Amino acid sequence: MREVRFHRELYRGESVDEAVKVLAPYAKFSLIEEPEHWLVQIESTTAARERKIALELWNHALGLTMRARG
Amino acid sequence: MVMALPPELVSLDLDERSATLAIDASIYPLEALYGASYVLIDRAYVLLDRPTPDRYRATVVPKKPEEDTRAQLETLALELANELLSCAYRHRLQVENRALIESVTMRAMAGAMGPPSLDDLESFDFTSDAFEDPLGIALSWEEKYGKKPPPAGEGPPPAKGEE
Repeated sequence: MREVRFHRELYRGESVDEAVKVLAPYAKFSLIEEPEHWLVQIESTTAARERKIALELWNHALGLTMRARG
Repeated sequence: MVMALPPELVSLDLDERSATLAIDASIYPLEALYGASYVLIDRAYVLLDRPTPDRYRATVVPKKPEEDTRAQLETLALELANELLSCAYRHRLQVENRALIESVTMRAMAGAMGPPSLDDLESFDFTSDAFEDPLGIALSWEEKYGKKPPPAGEGPPPAKGEE
């Protein structure tokens, strides 16, 4: 399992949710709210695949956050 | 080892193939961080974080790994640092020139709206002064330098032939 933490001041929660939905076909995701972060846990078949999906999630969440900010 | 950036600001993780920059939040606004990240997003994966209130942290991973991982990560870190500086400066200019940009945009928009309709003209208040003119710049030539009217009681000079 791989974890990604998105800081709540830097990423919109809706954008993280949306990014997870985009990548949902490729892995199993768990979303947890921490005091300062949105924690996303990623489970897939291999560690390499989990890493690749986590990296794609970084950019999707960031892009969607920036788009929402205008 | 990164040659051009202080080691306390940049760290490389060769196993994860990532470079991490510590960014002073008092120097670089959040908009600059987003802008610099956006520039790299087609070539790298970018994760932002804020470990302390006065610092951001940007982690970048190249999308297409090259043979010399260290050199690639150093280059990417330097590019991010340059973009941060560029975006921070542009953000500062934008803030300083906001009033001017808004004014020009408003004029452009007003011009693009075309001539006013009859309804607009009907409701327009022509009696109010458009602006203050203490130096008399908006006066016409005739108003400012034209022949003054004769004082009260004096008629116009007799025309030629009437004398």
